[in-house]
Formats: sequence, C-alpha cells, structure tokens
Amino acid sequence: MAKKKLLGIPLPVFVVIVVLVILLFVSLLGGPIGSKLLKVFGIDFNLPEWASVPTPKPELPAEPLFHVGIIPVTNTLVTTWITIGVILLFGLLSTRKMKLVPSRLQVAFEYVVSTLLNLCEGIAGPKYGRQVFPIVATIFLFVFINAWSSLIPGYGSITLGIEHHGHLVDIPLLRGANTDINVPLALALVAFFTVWVFGFKASGIRYMSQFIQTKKFFQAFKDIVHLRLKSAAGNFAFGILDFFVGILEFISQFIRLVSFTFRLFGNMLAGEILLLSVAFLVPWVLSVAIYGLEMLVGFVQALAFGLLTLIFTSMAVAGHDQEEHGKEASAVSH
Amino acid sequence: MDAEGLKLLSAGLAIGLGALGPGLAIGMIGYGAMQSLGRNPEARGAIQTNMILSIILAEAVAIYALVVAILLALVV
Repeated sequence: MAKKKLLGIPLPVFVVIVVLVILLFVSLLGGPIGSKLLKVFGIDFNLPEWASVPTPKPELPAEPLFHVGIIPVTNTLVTTWITIGVILLFGLLSTRKMKLVPSRLQVAFEYVVSTLLNLCEGIAGPKYGRQVFPIVATIFLFVFINAWSSLIPGYGSITLGIEHHGHLVDIPLLRGANTDINVPLALALVAFFTVWVFGFKASGIRYMSQFIQTKKFFQAFKDIVHLRLKSAAGNFAFGILDFFVGILEFISQFIRLVSFTFRLFGNMLAGEILLLSVAFLVPWVLSVAIYGLEMLVGFVQALAFGLLTLIFTSMAVAGHDQEEHGKEASAVSH
Repeated sequence: MDAEGLKLLSAGLAIGLGALGPGLAIGMIGYGAMQSLGRNPEARGAIQTNMILSIILAEAVAIYALVVAILLALVV
C-alpha cells in the first residue's frame, strides 16, 4: 500500500508542519508584539499565564553562588569545571582501552583529533603545527563544549534562591562560561602568550626586531660615513617611518588581545540575550530556530578562536625570509 | 528628552551604526568569494576557510558595537 501524501509530503510530516505553523502564529499573536498589535484593533488576546514567558532580565556580570574565603564561586566557574570534567572524561574513556581496531568512542575522538591536527599542520607547517596543536585543540574543544553545553535545557533555568542584600534573589545555577568576560580574557591571554613564546622560540631575541625597526637608520649611518648624503637623508626618513610602523605593530599585538576577548564574549552574550528575547517576544516555537543559529555560532566561534591562535602563531614563527608573506597575512587579518 | 530616553537612543544608534560597516564588509567578502569560486571551483576549500575567517574578522567590529550597546542599555 502506498503511503498517503499531501502536497508531495508524507501525511504525518505534513500534520507536524501544519501544527508548528499554527503554534507559531498563535504564539506570535499572543506574545507581547501580537497583543499590542491586536489591541489597536480592539481585540484583547493574551496567552494564558502558564504559557507566557516572563520578561527576561539579562545579567552582565556572573553571579556569585557562594564564597570560599574571599573568593566568590560564580555560576560560570561551576560550568567551566563541568566542561573541563566532560573533556577529561571523554578523553580518558576513549583512550582507556586503545586497540588497533578501535571502539566507536575511540574512532570519534581520533576523528576530532586528526582533523584538528591536519588543520594545524596545513597552516603552520609540520614542525610548528605539531607543537602548537595541543593549545589550539584545547582552546577549540573548550570553547566549543562551553558554547554547546550552554544550550542544554537547565542552563539558566535551574535557579537557586540566594540571600543578597537582605532579600532573596533567584540565581541560575549554571550559565554558559563564555558569557563571563573572564573566561574569554583568560583564553585570549593564553593565545597571546602562545604567540609570543613561539615567536621567541623560532627566532630568538630577533623576534623583537619587527617591533623596533632600526635597519634603515644603520643604512643612513653607513651612507653618512660614505658621504652619500642624499641617500642618507632618504634612508633616515624611511627609518623614522619604519620605526613608527614597528610601534604600531607592537600596539596591534595588544589590540589582538582585546579583539579576541570581545569577539567571543560578545558573540556568546548576544546569543544568550537573543534566545531570552525571542522566547519572550514569540514564545514556544521560534526559539528552536534560534537554537540552530546558536549552534552554528558556537562552532564557528570556537573554530575562529583556535584558527586565529594558529594563524598568529604561524605568522610569528615565519622566518625573516618570509617576512613579506607575513605582512600579507597581517594585512588580511586587520 | 530625558536621560533614560537618551540612553536607549544611544544604545540603538551604537549597534545600528556599528552594524553598518561590518554588514557592507561581509557582503563584499561574500561577493569576492563567490566570484573567485565561479572562476576557480577547485579552490573551494581554501576559499571557504579564508572567507569564513574574513567574515569573522569583519563581524568582530559589529560585536564591539554590540558590547557597547549592551553596556549602554543594561549597565550604565
């Protein structure tokens, strides 16, 4: 017997789609936007109390749950440790009984690791790619699992009543760790120092020579000794220019730190606020689509954080003969 | 206009004007990527990686504006 079809879609799927569209319209009309609009036409339509979503109150700083001594333990700290635990657990479980013919978990982990390793070696070359791989992979996995775990139901919705300035406030027990500015800042510092360490490792103290450029000054000095005054003046002028370029290069290192931090923090916080606002404005259905968007954003941001660390590192280790190439890459990245 | 209204207006302007540049930039990046993809379909992988990277870097500017807007609306 052939399956019943409606408009080329199997019947059960069609019914589900129709129900979803109806739900979307009802929630759109019953939500704050819809009720305001309908009031203009003199219709009073509101969702019942149990089905409407309360007005969101986004909190910018992470809320402390309790204090250990003078150190506040915030909800983002709890989720950070949960993420670390999850990564550790999967790592241990998948490498506990390693076999030549691997188990499913081992295959999955090997796939992740080898994809990341290929990426690293493709960009930073076989030698440095392997060396920088642990940091890049850790940053990627940490940011990625942080981002996706904060989409799990329960994050933000399980609250604890905490005494605060004499009255009880509800504080979410779990909150996406990337939405606390301290986590992106810490990761950005790690990435920043990685770049510098690799730069010094590859070219020693000469790594600083790209920030303090004096090559043209020496040439000018040589020209003066050889009494080529016109060329000396030209070299001196270019020397001043190069010197300022070096200073700008040095400053841009620190601007990277800021942009690393705020890129991740802003994206994740915006995602959280977007989810809250959409759930408030159009309850029920539409936020599912936003969840899909947030999964994409979380993945892309994790990839971006790891990839940028990798690219900046490979720029730092690029030798002086490849300086032109490095300049090109930095022209792309700013 | 009172202080509250001014604050909300400035938050809206911050993200609205701040999203203008990155929006143009992302459009141009997409334009360039599509053109090069049409001319050289074999280089799909490299184009895709670099396109996503450039989009992220352009989008970061919008995120700064967003952070400023959120700070204005929620904190200040």
